[in-house]
Amino acid sequence: MAQLLILQIGIYYSRMKKYQLGEFEEVVMLTVGILYGEAYGVSIKKEIESRLKRGVSVGALQTALRRLEDKGYLKSHEGEATEERAGRPKKYFTITAYGKKAMEYTRSTREELWNAIPKVALKVVTGFRLPVADNLQLETGNNE
Amino acid sequence: MSPPQLPLRFFRWFCHPKLRDSIEGDLMELYKERLIKNGKLKADAHFIKDVLLLFRPGIIRPTEGYQNLNSYGMYKNYFITAWRNVIRKKSSAAINVFGLTLGISCALIIFALVNYHLSFDNFHTDADRIYRFVTEEHRDEVEYDASVPPPFGKFFREDYTFSDQVARLYTGDNELITIERIGEKNKFNETIAFAEPDFFKIFNFPLSTGNPETILVEPNTAIITKKMAAKYFGDESAIGKVIRLNSKIDFTVSGVLQDLPVNSDIQTEIYFSYSTMKQYNEWAASDDAWGGITSSIKTYTKLKPGVNPTDVEQAVDEYVKRFRPKSKNVHHYKLQPLNDVHFNARYEGVMSKTTIWILSLVGVLLVLTASLNFINLTTAQAINRSKEVGVRKSLGGARGQLFWQFTIETGLVVLVATVLALAFSYAILPQLNSFLNTNISINLFTDTRLLLFVLALIVVVTGLSGAYPGIVLSGFKPVLALKGKLSGKQTGSFNIRRALIVTQFSISQILLLGLIVMFFQMRYFSKTDMGFDTDAIIMMPVGSNDEKLKTVKSQLLQVPGVENVSLCFGAPASDNHWTTSIKFDDRAETEPFSISHKGADEDYLSTFSLEIIAGRNLTPSDTVREFLVNENLLSQLNLASPEEILGKNITVNGSWKGPVVGVVKDFHEQSFHADIKPVFLTTSGNTYNSIAVKINMRNANETLTSIEKVWSGMYPDLIYKYDFLDDQIASFYQTEQQMVSIVYIFASIALIIGALGLYGLVSFMAVQKTKEIGIRKVLGGDVVQILWIFGKEFTALVVVAFLIAAPVGWLVMTEWLSNYAFKVDISLWMFALELFIIALVVLVTVGYRSLKAVVANPVESLRSE
Repeated sequence: MAQLLILQIGIYYSRMKKYQLGEFEEVVMLTVGILYGEAYGVSIKKEIESRLKRGVSVGALQTALRRLEDKGYLKSHEGEATEERAGRPKKYFTITAYGKKAMEYTRSTREELWNAIPKVALKVVTGFRLPVADNLQLETGNNE
Repeated sequence: MSPPQLPLRFFRWFCHPKLRDSIEGDLMELYKERLIKNGKLKADAHFIKDVLLLFRPGIIRPTEGYQNLNSYGMYKNYFITAWRNVIRKKSSAAINVFGLTLGISCALIIFALVNYHLSFDNFHTDADRIYRFVTEEHRDEVEYDASVPPPFGKFFREDYTFSDQVARLYTGDNELITIERIGEKNKFNETIAFAEPDFFKIFNFPLSTGNPETILVEPNTAIITKKMAAKYFGDESAIGKVIRLNSKIDFTVSGVLQDLPVNSDIQTEIYFSYSTMKQYNEWAASDDAWGGITSSIKTYTKLKPGVNPTDVEQAVDEYVKRFRPKSKNVHHYKLQPLNDVHFNARYEGVMSKTTIWILSLVGVLLVLTASLNFINLTTAQAINRSKEVGVRKSLGGARGQLFWQFTIETGLVVLVATVLALAFSYAILPQLNSFLNTNISINLFTDTRLLLFVLALIVVVTGLSGAYPGIVLSGFKPVLALKGKLSGKQTGSFNIRRALIVTQFSISQILLLGLIVMFFQMRYFSKTDMGFDTDAIIMMPVGSNDEKLKTVKSQLLQVPGVENVSLCFGAPASDNHWTTSIKFDDRAETEPFSISHKGADEDYLSTFSLEIIAGRNLTPSDTVREFLVNENLLSQLNLASPEEILGKNITVNGSWKGPVVGVVKDFHEQSFHADIKPVFLTTSGNTYNSIAVKINMRNANETLTSIEKVWSGMYPDLIYKYDFLDDQIASFYQTEQQMVSIVYIFASIALIIGALGLYGLVSFMAVQKTKEIGIRKVLGGDVVQILWIFGKEFTALVVVAFLIAAPVGWLVMTEWLSNYAFKVDISLWMFALELFIIALVVLVTVGYRSLKAVVANPVESLRSE
């Protein structure tokens, strides 16, 4: 009981700080979200590799997963053991409510920062490289 | 197909067990895919890379073992809680630590002391086969002597095959050693020994240079310790150098001994060849000196394995028939084991086993009172921890866990106290050593026994002091504890606390009583008349057979300030005795008692103010044989009045015969340990060993300087040395003085610890009775009346403790006093004094705290509900 108390006190303290999510951690969180219900070590690795075109080592991924779980952003449960895994169970990850808040917080801070950039700053860029800037605006417009 | 085994095994070894299975599954899945896609070589390479990249902090298992993580956290919490409690209650923590430190320091010091004494001469090879020959002298009474007649060793070696080795050792104090170095003469006063070569085969005193087979075999050779070699010859090699004894006998150094271990009774640093003894003391060296025993010669032997000492003792009985057929003093020669030598007071042992037991007991008692004290204070404050216990219990803490928590807390306090105690003992050790003439050392890192003792002490003291408070504290009912409704009953029974205090006070009262009796016995020593004058008399040792003595005496008498000079064997009371037997008048048999022989000239009586009760003084003559005897001899001879002995002849040892011319009033010839024995005085120039000089203390310094001038004029080769007689007599009681000081220290410590415990109890009572006092005051009780609530409690405790302590103390001290032939009586007023001191201590301790409780404003105490 006392341990639980201490654990909760620990969480309480970490909440006092701002949510912290590194770049790679954010990618992992998003991928876990994409793979909803099917997110385990290998699938997350493949998803990131195929979507972002970058190599991910098992070590880096597992470390990030463990850190996120310790922070309380992810929770895990053990799944079935299959033959190609030599009888080892899969460990599935899902995003916790607290994890979702962290992701939203990260996103909103990004947006706040984007919004805080004065128009002039972007204009200076456009003034020098007009064709590219036009292109950019066009693409943005298209996306929206 | 499976991945390479070595990296896999490496992975399994380093990976955190909780993660191992799922990550290994991932690795396998990826390996199989790559195997199909890229072939074995690439798949293997990838696998190895993955494993290596997994070797990082988040994945590697913790070294301390992940399963215990949770308990560690809890223990950490215990330490934090303990620390906070210490910080919050600084004064009571300080009292606890202080009390325990005192108790543990005493235990440590006593342990070191006991250990030191028990280690004496335990380093000799086959120590269980080494014995010393001793003598029981059967006359009317049995006397014990740690020596045998001088030729005994030689005969035993030649006549019997019981032993591997036999060795005689002659030890002499205060001998003059002259070293000539670079034309310069250096004089030293040293303890020397004559040793037979086998001595160093029996005892394990290794040589640092020299041949162990040949040392001391040749006459006029010597061996000395390294320390002596450095003192005499500095850096030069001592081998081949000459040492001169008493300005007449030269010895050549043939070997250097390693320095002697401190834990040996043999501490002589200069050994001469025994074969040279004839030149030094003809009687002791002769082969027919069976008539007497000198304590200077000790005879040691190492028996062959399997030889029964009783057989040897029976065999040597034959010597008595052969060499002492007619003597009334029947010798029985015995073998004393080496491990008994240090402890047997009967045979000159310095530390009796009884004293060691008593010391150990005192140590145990002091640790016990310190522990009791701790229990008292801790349970008295248990109520302060009730909330904590309540919270822990409601959160699921089991009683066992709480018990261990409080025990760990106690352990911490004990640990701190032990560290302090070690530092303290270490600091006072030098003083203690110089005071007790010992060489005790406390070194935790080289002395395994001490280390084990300290560890055991920590465990035992923690158990003693921690168990009861642990039981009380962990037994709180959580609901009551949280509501703050614990009553006194739940914080440990008041009666148990009373019992603890009574025990503590009994212990301190026994010690205090012992101290008082010892103190008055010591006062008795210094105040009681010895039967002769001891003031302002100096004693100077001289060599015997000295023709110059008479000249020295007449020169000394010229010195202004010198009132009287006497040439004599020794002072009326001295450590040196010479006992013999006499025949009285025309009785056929030798008298069945020993008599003390004191050689003295005609000025002896006036110098020491001895009183003649009948007859006259000796005539100043060396040729006319006359005797003075003491009163005691009359009763030994069954004579009613002095007149019956005057004019009768006595014969000493068959050789000296002469009339008794006077009777001297009894005086103490030895310390107060011994009864007054028969004594005779007679003039005999060749037995004079001392010059006694009575001086006028008004110009003592000038007189002493003039005496020194006379001395160096007459004896240019000798060292001028003198002792005041009263100092010599005080040294008879050195052991007692040490004992008194030790008991004084321990009694004070016991009292301090007791007072601390009392303070704990009175604080507890004050807290408990806050309301009662408030109500009494509101209803009109006056301060004195309310103070009596405390007063009667503690009066009762002290009285009960006294009832226990008084008979025990009386028994112990009667036993102690039985060592003395002359002693004080244990009288009622000593008990009264003891009770008064205790009452004073209690009054001071209890008075302040209870007064504080009583004068407190009742409004404060009553409104807090």
